[in-house]
Amino acid sequence: MIRTVKIHNLLLIFIILIALAGPCWCASLNNVNNDSLMTEQGDDDFFEDLYGDDGDVDAIADPLETFNRGMFWFNDKCYFYVLKPLACGFRVVPEHVRTGLGNMFDNLKSPLYAVNAFLQFKFKRMASETTRLVVNSTIGLAGFFDLADSLWGLEKKEEDFGQTLGYYGVGEGFYLVIPVLGASSLRDGLSIIPDGYADPIYWLANFEATLACKGVSMVNRTSLDRDTYESIVEEQLDPYLFVRDAYTQHRRGKVAD
Amino acid sequence: MKNLFVVIMLLMFSSSVVGAAAPAISVESAGPKVQIRATVDAILDELHAEDEDHLLKRQKISDLIRDNFDFKIMAQGALGRQWRSVTVNERARFVELFIDQLEETYLGRLRAYTDQTVSYGSENIRKNRAVVETFIEDAGVKIPITYKLLPRGSDWLVYDVVIEEVSMIRNYRSTYGDILRRKGMAQLLEDMAQKIDDLKKRNGAEFGENHDAKQA
Repeated sequence: MIRTVKIHNLLLIFIILIALAGPCWCASLNNVNNDSLMTEQGDDDFFEDLYGDDGDVDAIADPLETFNRGMFWFNDKCYFYVLKPLACGFRVVPEHVRTGLGNMFDNLKSPLYAVNAFLQFKFKRMASETTRLVVNSTIGLAGFFDLADSLWGLEKKEEDFGQTLGYYGVGEGFYLVIPVLGASSLRDGLSIIPDGYADPIYWLANFEATLACKGVSMVNRTSLDRDTYESIVEEQLDPYLFVRDAYTQHRRGKVAD
Repeated sequence: MKNLFVVIMLLMFSSSVVGAAAPAISVESAGPKVQIRATVDAILDELHAEDEDHLLKRQKISDLIRDNFDFKIMAQGALGRQWRSVTVNERARFVELFIDQLEETYLGRLRAYTDQTVSYGSENIRKNRAVVETFIEDAGVKIPITYKLLPRGSDWLVYDVVIEEVSMIRNYRSTYGDILRRKGMAQLLEDMAQKIDDLKKRNGAEFGENHDAKQA
């Protein structure tokens, strides 16, 4: 009990810290880059027009690159020596069953999405996620079938706490590769903790069972994937840079929508 | 009962008329969505073609891609601001390598997405830019893929592909920018050439394998 209270306090401090520091930090970063660009880019607004803004302004800060690359290496080994073999073995289960299982794990995230939609005043999404949870949990057989989507086109809309913080102007801080979980940022990485409280499994099962569920979910997801990570490793000059930028763009898109 | 039959007949007839007329209209206007749809469908057809030499298959897909993508603009975008700080020779070499590498990557990707269904979303034309939404559906997951196009004569050419909010060109630019800063242009060009060699070996081998597996 004491332990959880402590974690709570620590978390609160962290969130307040990034809430305060994040926007200022990002604002100052952007200013610096914009100033230096003004003179160099000058008339060349062609790319800016065509591809959004310049790559340098876009880049996420990565002061922990050495550590992050180490974690990236570690996760790469975990993927190829642990996760992938397990996922390949799991493919004995017919694909439609695995898709259904994936839907069940997704269904458990509906409360999280609904709460965060609410926190961002996206009431339509909140209603949609709540409907999805109710419909899919009941006639969708505990989420095995995504009936809310197939019947009424109520598509899953991911809204997590990292996106909520982003909505309120909290910057991503810097890039962070988390062991096992992979690409993240200071903001999104810390948001995993409050996100955990919106997970029904956390309230229904003990720690070991929750961890086991996460493991199964991860193996299942990998079993359905068509070697995305393998292609990245094969095709990219520097997979670390590819993942870092893809993560950043993806999250920024999610925060903006 | 007889009335119902007539109604059904009428409905079927009218739908077949609409069905027949629709492509004719699309060809005339040849909007970006129509073009993307035609290209993607042609590539998928080509991939599904069972009894065809895999080298020929590769060539046909490659032609389809080259006809519909503006590789020079893409290469320029992938180098971004650095474009102006490298020599003309380096630019030419970069464009050449970039095209090769993009093609090999795209061919590799397609290999992974043969049994998935592609659906088409909205088309948005603003001034001289167009955005076409498509979706690849795979094992219950819907992946949005957006094509960005520029007009070229009466056609539209793709200049960027955005997959789940991730712009491919911006992604390349961030990687190239980083390598340029650390190692310089000469090393970047060398790395690219090496990577293309590896990809060519892989794609060559796997297109062959795929072909054999389908025959068996």
